Amino acid sequence: MSDTLTLRVDLNSTVPAYRQIVDELRILLVNGKLAPGSVLPSVRRMAVDLGVHFNTVAEAYRTLAEENWLDLQHGRGATVVKRNTPTAYKAELVQEFRHRLRALVAEVRAAGASAVTIQAELRELVDEVKL
Amino acid sequence: MKVELLMSLYPLLLVAVILQFMPLLTRRGIFFSATVDPEFPRSSEGRRLLRSYCWQAALWTVLVTLLTLFSVHAHPNFGRMIAPILLLVGAALSYWRKFREIHERYGVKEPEVRQASLSSSPAKENFNLWITLAPFLTLAAVAVYLQVHWNNFPLRFPAHRGADGRADGWASRDWRGVYGPLLFGAFLNVILLALAWILSHESRKTVMRYVTVRCVQFLLYPLTLMSILAALRPLLSTSLWLGQGVLLVSIAGLLYWSYRKITAPSAKDEVPEPRGDDYWKAGVFYWNPDDPAIFVSKRLGIGYTMNFANKWSWLAMGTIVAALLMVGQFR
Repeated sequence: MSDTLTLRVDLNSTVPAYRQIVDELRILLVNGKLAPGSVLPSVRRMAVDLGVHFNTVAEAYRTLAEENWLDLQHGRGATVVKRNTPTAYKAELVQEFRHRLRALVAEVRAAGASAVTIQAELRELVDEVKL
Repeated sequence: MKVELLMSLYPLLLVAVILQFMPLLTRRGIFFSATVDPEFPRSSEGRRLLRSYCWQAALWTVLVTLLTLFSVHAHPNFGRMIAPILLLVGAALSYWRKFREIHERYGVKEPEVRQASLSSSPAKENFNLWITLAPFLTLAAVAVYLQVHWNNFPLRFPAHRGADGRADGWASRDWRGVYGPLLFGAFLNVILLALAWILSHESRKTVMRYVTVRCVQFLLYPLTLMSILAALRPLLSTSLWLGQGVLLVSIAGLLYWSYRKITAPSAKDEVPEPRGDDYWKAGVFYWNPDDPAIFVSKRLGIGYTMNFANKWSWLAMGTIVAALLMVGQFR
């Protein structure tokens, strides 16, 4: 794992800090930047660096462990594990994805982005995923 | 009487000089402990505020110096003990007023974006084994020398001298009298190293951490030299002024080096400290219940302060005070 990987959290954001940590880490996991075997900083270390409560980081790690991204062992920190992509997924998840994406597309279209630009961006995002 | 006057004015003038330069010893984007645009201190308004503070601090210095001069006969301790504290309180008041003015009129509210490295082995300052051990090995070598020359020690010798050079404290030829200065030096070194080690492991990676740890590591050497000179004095009539001179020059050099480091632009991998001015009570006391950090980079001067909203900070502070009291007892 590269030592230059960093995680950023905006405490002024309306999105809770725990959700931001989960989202940021999941992007790195999906993109393969955090490879299986990588060890994440301890809850304590990350909480001090981010200036958030220990429980905020612990909750984020637990969420990713429930998604089978991380192996949490007491005293050994959080280790990224090899994860098999589920073959079945809930239909509601796709509906939610579609709903959020539609809102985002509308927002950038309203701001002046062309359909071609949006398509290119989406393609690039999908290509980044190493899964 | 001249010596008494000199002894009264010396600490006062030292504090006065430090107070004049203190507002400059801060990070980029911080001015009088308030978050500002990095260019603001160099603007005409920024320079006006700095001049205003310097004049106020100078006025306090004149006032307290006059009080010292008038009271030197009746209360010789006023100049040594109370006057510097009075000067500090006065200058702190001026500083606090400047902090409020700058925070309210020119303060910048930066986004509270925090950053953490995802490396499992957190970056910490390097403690080179030999550089760290060298002062202790030197103290041990001097202890051996003292043991070999034990019989050359007078049965009773001066352990402390006043400003006039006359002995005002005495020691005997026993383990405490002979090895005392070396043990004191070793104990002080251990405390300083422990503080530096805790800081390097328990604080965010900032340039202030780098500067503080390196300063402490460097200071071990002049402090060790002072202990050695004190220990050898009964045998070789060494002068303590040499050690004090080296210490003063070292501190001046470290201050200049630190100033250059902490006013330089931040490194990319630096973990930012919380930016909000609201966390800083009166500009100097950090109070953030949401921050689990115990040690936080100071906004004024070099080094670290504590998060007073964290109960562990109070425990750490109690331990440090207890250690310093122990040093005082030993002395």
